[in-house]
Amino acid sequence: MARVVITGVGVVSAAVSGDSAALGAFLAAPFAPAAGALGAGAVAVLVDPGESRRLSRVCQFTIAAARLALRESGLDPAAGLGLVVGTEFGDLASTHAFADGFLARGPGGLSALLFPNTVMNTMVATTAIAVGARELALTLNAPTVAGELAVARATAAVASGRVPAVLAGGVDELDPVVEHELKRFGLDAERRAEGAAFLVLEPRVAAEARGAPVLGEISAAAWRALPARPWGVGRTCRAPAIEAVLEAADEARDRWEEQVLGAALGSAAPVSTLGRLLGRHAGLGVLRVAAGAWTARSGLLPATDGAARVERVRPGRGLVHGLARGGTHVALVVDAA
Amino acid sequence: MKQVVVTGLGAVSPYGAGVAEFWKGLAGGACAIRDLTLIETDGFRCRLAAEVPEPLGGSARRTRADRLAIAAAGEALADAGLGARDCAAAALVVGAVGGGMLEAEAWYWRTARAGTRPASLSALRAVLPSAHAETLGSRFGLGGPRHTVVTACSSGAVALAEASELIAAGVVDVALAGGVDAITRICFMGFNALKLLDPAPCRPFDRERRGMSIGEGAGFMVLETEARARARGARVYATLAGHGMTTDAFHVTAPEPEGDGMVRAMRAALAGGGITPAEVQYANAHGTGTPQNDRIEARALARVFGEGGLLVSSSKSMIGHTMAAAGSLEAIATVLALGHDLVPPTANLATPDPDVPFDCVPRTARATRLRCAISNSFGFGGQNVTLLFRRSVA
Amino acid sequence: MEEKEVLDELKTILVARLKFDPRRAAETSESTPLPKGVAGSIGLDSLDFIELSIAIEERFGIAMDENQDLTEHFASFDSLSRFIAGKLRPA
Repeated sequence: MARVVITGVGVVSAAVSGDSAALGAFLAAPFAPAAGALGAGAVAVLVDPGESRRLSRVCQFTIAAARLALRESGLDPAAGLGLVVGTEFGDLASTHAFADGFLARGPGGLSALLFPNTVMNTMVATTAIAVGARELALTLNAPTVAGELAVARATAAVASGRVPAVLAGGVDELDPVVEHELKRFGLDAERRAEGAAFLVLEPRVAAEARGAPVLGEISAAAWRALPARPWGVGRTCRAPAIEAVLEAADEARDRWEEQVLGAALGSAAPVSTLGRLLGRHAGLGVLRVAAGAWTARSGLLPATDGAARVERVRPGRGLVHGLARGGTHVALVVDAA
Repeated sequence: MKQVVVTGLGAVSPYGAGVAEFWKGLAGGACAIRDLTLIETDGFRCRLAAEVPEPLGGSARRTRADRLAIAAAGEALADAGLGARDCAAAALVVGAVGGGMLEAEAWYWRTARAGTRPASLSALRAVLPSAHAETLGSRFGLGGPRHTVVTACSSGAVALAEASELIAAGVVDVALAGGVDAITRICFMGFNALKLLDPAPCRPFDRERRGMSIGEGAGFMVLETEARARARGARVYATLAGHGMTTDAFHVTAPEPEGDGMVRAMRAALAGGGITPAEVQYANAHGTGTPQNDRIEARALARVFGEGGLLVSSSKSMIGHTMAAAGSLEAIATVLALGHDLVPPTANLATPDPDVPFDCVPRTARATRLRCAISNSFGFGGQNVTLLFRRSVA
Repeated sequence: MEEKEVLDELKTILVARLKFDPRRAAETSESTPLPKGVAGSIGLDSLDFIELSIAIEERFGIAMDENQDLTEHFASFDSLSRFIAGKLRPA
């Protein structure tokens, strides 16, 4: 099994856009919580007008983030590149726009250009074309932890030698129709945002041979679900950890997750909950892994209480854990390079 | 790497519920593509589909797609003889595209026409593709790794490949995997708008073919390590000997004209199984019936196997294109073909296209000794998957 | 309908259905090539042409026969507006 390292980071979001340096600068500086909608400017410089005409909004920021990560890594896609993208909602904006065309004007109102976006693999399909990724290309759909899941799956693909390198990403878009419905049924307690984030994952040996930046190592990755009987609880979290980057969407899940991690890790580890600060989306799931690598490297942990300060912790190893509505959980152990 | 074998099959198809019905229809060359009844079709050029016949089984409170998935998954688990303890550790991989969109559409259509929003949440709760995995996971107590793949028309095949990866890597010993899709307005309208549908039942590999027919269904398999299957005396249908997954990275709807991605997927599957092209007797083609796909797929098959190098047939000629279920239902057809030494035919094939250099088994199933077979699924956006099955030596 | 009016409608379709920037659409002329790969074209591919066909059918109420090879008519706005105007003229 190959050792898997991160050689590039790309993020596009309202709070921060850029590569690992931009992300690190953002996490280190005191900042005000900025969950919300993306500005158009972040993407415009990375996707040219000839392309953007044919790309839906969510596809545009997927491509932008993927390009940022690839640029940082210096990887040539022609050597073989896979693509794994996690998303919770996909391109629902295009889906209801497509339906609206028919409802307003009948068959003549249907848009051929919109139709491919109604299938959730559209971000992967368009990004594969934009960057030239020709190996396996997967879209993983999951509530809450799609981003973390994509990184875990991509890690397995690189570790097994199936693919020479993988772009692992997460993306979600805030869609007014979805937000309206979530609010109407009182499910908006979870603070949501939008954005895309990508990591370039490669075998350590290849990255070092290439002289690529080694931003962190993903030493272990696993995901499990909760069956009707609780035999799966805690089994994912057996990895030893010094710090924990903890995420949970609401009070009850917070407490449950703390208990599970406490039981598994047996320590009062310093925790950071970026979702509270940045809002939740599949892109955040991937950004958290990059943030975990940054903390492991720098020994700085973004504190996400109201003071938004930075704590010093022992550098070395971190755990990124995600727990979904419905019980799927993902854990990744991230080490300093 | 551990050997992965198939120990359970479950299917709900346009022929009806159950694997027996599915095989009976395929072996008999019966075309299940008929007038669409589930949704309105006025004003559209093609008004056909291969629908799953009533009664569907299961609770009417669930989405149609969930009901199809539960029935097929349940049959596969029972067929494999998996108990509760096995299920608690089993992985689950689902290939899905439409999810509960049929019901969400009905809600959206009512909202648009009536101008008010119905209060019910239930239409939206199970809309996302990932909903099936949550439904199956809790219904059957599946506690191992769980994920949902959305790769358009190849989703069902990718799910099987993903599950085999988990087993081969030693993450789990047993997995339930497959794909499911129900008819949706969006799918029907979209393919009509792209002019990819034949107004008559599709005619894959026919010189006069004009497009696809849509369908619906669910197909699931139980996969295990060979060692575990033998140890517990399970019936082994076949070995899932290899798989290949590639991407065209060419165009969002059109396949890459040389079929390079298809060729790479097929070669990767063969390499994974340590099988040479000469050892494969049958390819269950993606075979949608569009002029482009069939031409390019035939060219790719010829590059890998040589012209006339194996029998080729398209199950879509009979069950239509079942979208996310296609990859898994057609994999089940391939496994059954191996088991029966019988290649299901290509229905509606009246005048074979002279540019397709293969015997596409027109209209009548062909009895012949089969040792290895492949199943191709080439999805929208150039998402190519080939699965290689090898007959089980009992 | 005159060819000039047809051309204006096509430019509207370019913005409304094909998502061109209005300024870019205004810059096009009758002789601007349409298909991708032709020098100076606005770069339409197969999917764009399907969208354009749907829009033309809806806007002008004519049927585009997909069994006929319409490639020559899609070469430029000039050829396209002549094709459409021809279909609109009473037989």
